Amino acid sequence: MKKQTLLISMCLFGIGQIIFAQTGITGSAHDFSGQGWGTTEICEPCHTPHNSDASIQNAPLWNHQSTTTVFTLYSSSTLNTTTLTQPDASSKLCLSCHDGTVALENFGGTTGGTHFITGGNNLGTSLADDHPVSFTYNTALSTADGGLFDPATHITSLGGTINNDLLIGGKLQCASCHDVHNSYNNASLLKIGNNASVLCLTCHNK
Amino acid sequence: MVKSIIKIFSILLFITFCTRAQSIINSKHNLSVSGPGTIKASSESEICIFCHTPHNSSPQKPLWNRQDPASNYTLYTSTTTDVTIGQPDGSSVLCLSCHDGTIALGNVLSRTTPIQMTGGVTTMPPGNTNLTKDISNDHPVSFIYNSTLVTVDGQLKDPVSLTGPVKLENQKMQCISCHDPHQNVFNDFLVASNEYSILCQYCHDRTYWSSSSHNLSNSTWNGSGTDPWPHTEFTSVSRNACENCHNPHNADGKKRLRNYQQEENNCYNCHNSNVAAKNIQTQFAKLYKHNVAGYLEVHDPEEPGIVLTKHVECEDCHNSHASNNQTASPPDVNGFLIGVKGVNTNGTPVIISQYEYEVCYRCHADSPDKPGSPTVRQIAQNNVRLEFDLGNPSFHPVEGAGVNPNVPSLISPLTVSSKIYCSDCHASDGTNSPAGPHGSIYPQILKMQYLKLDNTPESAAAYALCYSCHNRNTILNSNGSFGQNVHRKHIVGEDTPCNACHDPHGISSSQGNTTNNTHLINFNTAIVQPDNQGRLRFEDSGTFHGRCYLICHGESHNPKSY
Repeated sequence: MKKQTLLISMCLFGIGQIIFAQTGITGSAHDFSGQGWGTTEICEPCHTPHNSDASIQNAPLWNHQSTTTVFTLYSSSTLNTTTLTQPDASSKLCLSCHDGTVALENFGGTTGGTHFITGGNNLGTSLADDHPVSFTYNTALSTADGGLFDPATHITSLGGTINNDLLIGGKLQCASCHDVHNSYNNASLLKIGNNASVLCLTCHNK
Repeated sequence: MVKSIIKIFSILLFITFCTRAQSIINSKHNLSVSGPGTIKASSESEICIFCHTPHNSSPQKPLWNRQDPASNYTLYTSTTTDVTIGQPDGSSVLCLSCHDGTIALGNVLSRTTPIQMTGGVTTMPPGNTNLTKDISNDHPVSFIYNSTLVTVDGQLKDPVSLTGPVKLENQKMQCISCHDPHQNVFNDFLVASNEYSILCQYCHDRTYWSSSSHNLSNSTWNGSGTDPWPHTEFTSVSRNACENCHNPHNADGKKRLRNYQQEENNCYNCHNSNVAAKNIQTQFAKLYKHNVAGYLEVHDPEEPGIVLTKHVECEDCHNSHASNNQTASPPDVNGFLIGVKGVNTNGTPVIISQYEYEVCYRCHADSPDKPGSPTVRQIAQNNVRLEFDLGNPSFHPVEGAGVNPNVPSLISPLTVSSKIYCSDCHASDGTNSPAGPHGSIYPQILKMQYLKLDNTPESAAAYALCYSCHNRNTILNSNGSFGQNVHRKHIVGEDTPCNACHDPHGISSSQGNTTNNTHLINFNTAIVQPDNQGRLRFEDSGTFHGRCYLICHGESHNPKSY
């Protein structure tokens, strides 16, 4: 009897977890609908169904003013990539809020906003102190580096290869680590929870 | 449901991570709650966070997550260092942000409060891994290692050869040149095994090392006394190699990172018959010795060829990077003396002694602080280089064969063409003692008894040293009137020691001549005095013939001839 109760409790707890977990953008750090500036819509600060900005490669119906910053990039004597460029594709979209140069409410054609990102979420215009993004991460890089897993074959905790699960067009981007829509309900909107540094060690063979 | 599968998958993946053989996860550098070491977090699960952060790092590379320790280290210094060593920089600073013991291990930039460690640990506990702010006893880091240094130093490999595990960082040797903080494959997070000192020898290239006993000997420790290899897991001389004597971190002897500051202690733990066959250490407990224990850090490898300040250490005579047990014939150096400085017969310092006597001449020839002579003689000389010169009227055959063609007392295989070593007379006493003048129960570190006082009754033992080459019977009984009236009369009849008339080293040609000073004649003036006309001399008048002007034992010789 006691066992059954325990089993039922556990099942209910499990179902509750699935139903009530804060998965999804609603209520997440990227839900600005209650901020009092701009809009009460959740998607609008980033996306629009019509007349979106298509100037950035693969921009998904983009609605936010884009950054024009020329960033200082990460460099190190042990960095083996030769393809590190200015942030491109979706990373540039992230930085349109996270470099602190474009106001949060500058979307849908609005300019001159006054709310800017603050604190540790503001990466600034120097990315020299941030994990590099917008570089090609392929088998050749993992071979050259010696401290990286082969993205074509190494399986992530999401079930596929690094290439399939984390890279975008073969490149590491902000979205390789972060899921802006909070599909996974991890701290810092991470795609893979970093308990035991599992996220870091998905790529870094240390 | 999908999420549950993901969770299970995550756990499985984590388990596979944990079982990886060469991962930070199963090393002591996993400071998270899952770490295998004794120093670990109470609850923090992230591993990389103790050093790295993906955003807002400082210093920027390699995405560092720790405070920069102040540059106020006490740096390594030695006279044989040919490079400027500055305050630690580059990645070495990052290592020291834990390993200098000043910054809490859990103090990371990406956390507003320090990560709590178990057992109340905050900073690195005292011990081998805490290098402290005094890194003068650690292998230097943060210096430029380039071909210029290689040329100046002469004992390093060209860094272009560093294509293997040992890497430089922007031309500089850093902690990561030897250590890989992410992998503890070879213990101490070394990038390669240091068995046979392979790691050291990626950079260090010592002359003679390939033929040195310290490189080649398979001797092991018998378990008695002090462990000769306390900081390695290796169990023979060759496997320990450099680490027989050197300690890369927290070395007791800071200069040249010696295991012990007291120089001879670096030798004693093996040369006490617990590893090496012969017990050198006990020789130094004897009354007469080269007193290596009496000096501390006076010796320096860069000291002048002619020693200016009196001292003696094992390394004054031995090159521990070179020594081996090769034999040689006089006057050539044998394996024990390979690769040591000396002073040649002209009084000129040489970097490498070719002859054994050149090693002795560093201190016993032209040194202003050389030991005095034990005997007061009519011709005073304590520069042994001048005493053994081949141009002298007489000398023991150390630099070359002697001048006297008639020495009937010589015991075969010695002949008048033979040469001898200083160490044939000056050596440890005892039949099974190690070779060399380490220590003896006899004065002047003589190998056998050699009594010098007047009125010594003659016996085989009294002058055992002389009789070991010069046949006693021949000396005392042969050659007619010479043996009977000169040697026997004086040594047996008058109880006069050999030393009364003979100066065993030789008489310098700058003071003596071939009339008065052949046959090592240079009177001991404590025994032999001038006659009433002030004459104190020997005159050579041919083979086995001569005459003396002097007073001895009250007997005036004015002259006495034979």
